[in-house]
Amino acid sequence: MDRFGAAIADARPRVVAALAARLRDLDTAEDAFADASAAALVAWPNQPPRDPAAWLWRAALRRAIDARRRAAVRDRAVLDAPEPGPTPEEALLAAEIPIPDDRLRLIFVCCHPALAPDSRAALTLKVVCGLSTERLARAFFTAEPAMLQRITRAKRKIAAAGVPFEVPGREAWPERLDAVLTTLEIAYAQAYEDAALAAEGAIFATEVLRLSGLLAELMPEEPEVLGLAALVRFAEARRPARLDDGGAMLPPPEQDAGQWNRRLIAEGAALLGRAARLAASGPRQILATIHATHCARAETGATDWATIAALYDILRELRPHAATEVNRAVAIGEAAGAEAGLAALDAVRGVEGWLPYQAARAALSARAGRRAEARAAYDAALALGPALAERLYLEARRRELG
Amino acid sequence: MQYMILIYEPEDAYAGEAGQAALGEIVARHMALAEDLRAKGWMKDGSGLQESSTATTVVTRGGQQTLHDGPFAETREHLGGYYLIEVDNLDDALSVARRVPVMDGGKVEVRPLAVYD
Repeated sequence: MDRFGAAIADARPRVVAALAARLRDLDTAEDAFADASAAALVAWPNQPPRDPAAWLWRAALRRAIDARRRAAVRDRAVLDAPEPGPTPEEALLAAEIPIPDDRLRLIFVCCHPALAPDSRAALTLKVVCGLSTERLARAFFTAEPAMLQRITRAKRKIAAAGVPFEVPGREAWPERLDAVLTTLEIAYAQAYEDAALAAEGAIFATEVLRLSGLLAELMPEEPEVLGLAALVRFAEARRPARLDDGGAMLPPPEQDAGQWNRRLIAEGAALLGRAARLAASGPRQILATIHATHCARAETGATDWATIAALYDILRELRPHAATEVNRAVAIGEAAGAEAGLAALDAVRGVEGWLPYQAARAALSARAGRRAEARAAYDAALALGPALAERLYLEARRRELG
Repeated sequence: MQYMILIYEPEDAYAGEAGQAALGEIVARHMALAEDLRAKGWMKDGSGLQESSTATTVVTRGGQQTLHDGPFAETREHLGGYYLIEVDNLDDALSVARRVPVMDGGKVEVRPLAVYD
């Protein structure tokens, strides 16, 4: 991206949010921003703006007001009725006030729990980050028309059902903030899912990094917000080392820690430290601490599996989930021996059709010397149709067993 | 904006002695809620409905109209009552919906009224 493109992307959340807050319509806000961006790319090379965000805000607001004015004139029932009077938006434009910061309001609107979780994630990435429908469709493994429909339906519901453009009152925060954080987790899962989607996933993950960082900046006193921002940084720090030279996935313990991104690890640690000082634990902070413990290998040379297993013990209380149980069993297997890990895994029910379960069972069985069981689990895992990088990894492990 | 708040509950929720006892409490909470909505100026209308066995449905198909005994949908939950409220936005409407008393398994649907302008 050239420097003007980058400036436009940086300005987007603030400008679109300010537009949406005043125009009360996401489509109008997005269209106005797109028009202003196109005008900027023509105007800026000759006359670079002092403040790109302010330039875009004023240009977009003017365009939106002109469009509304034309529509109002067109819709006038009586031909000689007077011109529409100045709107509050026009007064705003004349008053030269700086861009208001409505980013938090925009995020709360896009993540309203009255919208389906998948729609929230897609809408947030579209409206706040400006990702194209085409790119979102690829990231969410869906066809472009279906993605367009999902976003259109969500926007329509916001407008028609009267979702307020407000930051909810504190009493509603437990539920509303949880909806926002879950949305970001869904968005990040899409970026993290497939290690082989290196280029695509990395661009997408950049947006989630930006979004989680933005949220941490806007809500610096919310420990789970800081925890999520830290979690995403620790996980992204390892992205450069997630594939081997042959394109196979590598789990964290097998990655070359020298390739991990030290700057992101340091950022994650700082965020997690701030969260800890607020003294209210939560599942995202625990998950971030687990990731931090993995990342600590870059300094200590070894993974502290006993700590990771203990953290999963806490996490399973806060957020009971099959994924937590399977990961806990893997950690126990490393900390207390493969048989102990298998015993923990035996207690997890109803996950036979889930790839990480079969992969964990295969690895633990192999380490325990149960070769036949290991082969069977690798075959079961491969039969579940893993993505390319995962498949290459599992096939290699399977071959080692003969 | 105006919102319709539609209350769906299993029809047998108030059957038996325990059900009747619960009904008394639920009705009292409805009255308190309605009173509060009126005080806030949010209440436009609202009522409970008689049981679904009293319903008659007019079906129009192929230019013909026929009458059917009972409600249109064969579901376990039946529309048992409604509120019509006027509030600023969905969050306010949802705050009302959360306060609608229902028996376990009850569902409260919030639908904005169509706007014709």
